[in-house]
Amino acid sequence: MSAPAKRPPELVDGFPRRRPRWTEIATSADHKDLGRVLIAAALGFLFLALVELLLMRLQLAIPENTFLSPVTFNRMLSLYGATAVFFFAVPLALGFFYYVAPLQIGARGTALPRLGQIGTWLFVAGPAVLYAGILFTPSEAGVNPLPPLSDVAFLADNGVDAWAAATGLATLGFVLIAIDLIATLRRRRAPGMAWRRLPVFAWAAAICSWLLLAIGPVLLAALTMLLIDRNYDGIFFAGDAGGSPLLWQHLSWIFYSGAYMLLLIFALAAIAEIVPALARKPLFNRGAVIGSLVAIAVLGTLAWMQNMLTAPIGIGWMYFAMTMSLALIVPFGLVLFNLIETLVGGAVRMRAPLLFAAGAISMISIGLAAEISHSLPALGWRLQHTVDSTAATHFALVGGAVFGGFAALHWWFPKMTGRTMGESLARFSFWTMVAGTLLAFLPLFLAGGFEGQVIDAYKFFDATGVDTYNLLATIGVFLLAIGILMTLANALLSREGGAAAGHDPWGGDSLEWFALSPPDPHNFDLLPDVRSPRPMRDIRDAIAHRSERAATPQPGERQPVA
Amino acid sequence: MEPHSPGTDQIETLLWIGFVVGTILVLAVNLGLLYALRRYRAARGAEPRQATGGAGLQLRVGGALGAFAVALLVLGIVFTENAREAPATGESGLQIEDEAPLKITATGQQWLWRYDYPNEAFSYYKLVVPVDTQVELDLLSTDVVHTWDVPALAGKRDAVPGKTNEAVFRAEEEGAYFGQSATLSGQGYAAMRTAVEVVSPAEYEEFVETTQEGIQEAQDRVVERIEAGETP
Repeated sequence: MSAPAKRPPELVDGFPRRRPRWTEIATSADHKDLGRVLIAAALGFLFLALVELLLMRLQLAIPENTFLSPVTFNRMLSLYGATAVFFFAVPLALGFFYYVAPLQIGARGTALPRLGQIGTWLFVAGPAVLYAGILFTPSEAGVNPLPPLSDVAFLADNGVDAWAAATGLATLGFVLIAIDLIATLRRRRAPGMAWRRLPVFAWAAAICSWLLLAIGPVLLAALTMLLIDRNYDGIFFAGDAGGSPLLWQHLSWIFYSGAYMLLLIFALAAIAEIVPALARKPLFNRGAVIGSLVAIAVLGTLAWMQNMLTAPIGIGWMYFAMTMSLALIVPFGLVLFNLIETLVGGAVRMRAPLLFAAGAISMISIGLAAEISHSLPALGWRLQHTVDSTAATHFALVGGAVFGGFAALHWWFPKMTGRTMGESLARFSFWTMVAGTLLAFLPLFLAGGFEGQVIDAYKFFDATGVDTYNLLATIGVFLLAIGILMTLANALLSREGGAAAGHDPWGGDSLEWFALSPPDPHNFDLLPDVRSPRPMRDIRDAIAHRSERAATPQPGERQPVA
Repeated sequence: MEPHSPGTDQIETLLWIGFVVGTILVLAVNLGLLYALRRYRAARGAEPRQATGGAGLQLRVGGALGAFAVALLVLGIVFTENAREAPATGESGLQIEDEAPLKITATGQQWLWRYDYPNEAFSYYKLVVPVDTQVELDLLSTDVVHTWDVPALAGKRDAVPGKTNEAVFRAEEEGAYFGQSATLSGQGYAAMRTAVEVVSPAEYEEFVETTQEGIQEAQDRVVERIEAGETP
């Protein structure tokens, strides 16, 4: 007698999931795995950026300090600039877009997964090159390595080459991921998911991908020219040989301005997902918010010369930059207005994501209000290159990338891991971060605006009136770092120990909450027919109505989707 | 830090306006946010209004924001044009024919500023100018990008190698003003400072005369010693 056929194991919630091993993640082209790689890497680099910032602020805690030598300080500064923008902020935004947007449109996978995979690992190679530079000589050319300083005549070691290669690899990676996102959003939308029904976050993914497609190659061109100048006797940026140092300034500032807008768009779009769900009210006007995000991307990038107000460019260009910057008041104002109007009349549940979202709005508003002053040329001639500029930029970027990024983290963490992050640790972390950010950067407005303390300097002098401001700023950065570390610890601990979350812990409106937590590799077993911008709400309504009409369901009986 | 020239007067006023406007905007957003979060919290028990806004309200809000932006634009242009206006030499200043400004060249190099006066005198670190005189400072650089920044007298200007930039100012009062280079230029960047000493026109003329004579004497002496075979 032959052995009886083995019965297949009972299917309860799907196939039993194994924790992916290193090789599976390393070879996966699944947008969810790649998104998690980007986010995890970004949070790791946030930690490194904090270390670099703390070391610099320790040096600047007291006048004429000797804690760091000028060369070491300049190296920390260069590492910090690259890490904060290229290895933390942009990949964090892209990681969330890459993970969430395909789920939100009801796609089973992305359109060009291998391209996205190559892009992700190119990005990972970038910081590997930069931090390997610590083993020899990191760049000393600062956050934006202006030629001729970054040219081989003044910095002959290969620090700047490593910086250029690292940021180049990362930027190329971002561009490839952006191409995959654009293709996916065009081609892989579920039936009924017209553009007008796309969630705001998916729209933001499209906007930021097109933006990266525009500004990424500009930076790559500039980096190539820099490498040629340094290594092959190029004269692109050599003022006395027919080139121009200003060319680098234009190209690099186009990228940095666009990236600045990208981070703010990411933060505002994540907030536009969180607020309606937790206020149990639809977003006040979707069209206005989405249109504003498009305007922010375009106008913000066109305002790049706002960073060059002290350079020898014509006054006409400065006025053009001012016009673009001031025009941003309209879209930013509309987004903030619509977010606050969404809360008005709602039933707001103050959970961790909304707390961080509110903090993000607050910090971003301070940064943008300060940027208004900076865009008027007469004021730019006083405030640019001072720590006032540092403060304005950090309020906007810490608000956007850190507070906004953490809001997104708390919001989508249950979807990615099946567990919620700790609520009380989140609150403690949030308030520490708020206190830290305010203490770290408000004094710098005074030090730069009223006393003229300059930026990028490894020390400041006695009797220049800025002692107290700098000491407060150093204490503030320590507080901010402690707060950030609490959230990072929260994320690490909650992966195993957090409260178990179902597929829809927040009552969200978009399709990612229809998938399991974490989703199956193919995202959805069943795709609902999308008929509005709030498909999950339609599903919940349909289930509620069906329960009213049908008899009491048996325990364990599944309700079909309408 | 007090403004001591017409241009920086404008900048100082605009700074305060910007500060007040910025504070009002921040308070508006944050108070609105706080109010909405507290007043409409779920614990109060109200059901949420499923209301959305129409295009009309958006246009009105957008229009108001746009008007505000235009007002700032006008403000920015007016103040910037005023700050850019080359202030004419006053009666107690150094009179030059054709009402021309006093042209001095400021050359940035790692990590010093060198000032070249019209009579071929030069000085390092310290710039001497006569009071109440329109001074046109031509900014050059021999190596990397520097930024000349004496906030009491003029807005910052970059000195970019291969290009010439200009800072025009008229100092209103005698005294000493300090400045610092504001673009990272290497290891010695933080110590790349400068001082401007504003003196009466007579003192200024004496200074450039004496300096030029001293330099000429030193150069002649060197030539003498070379011809006498005393130097390697």
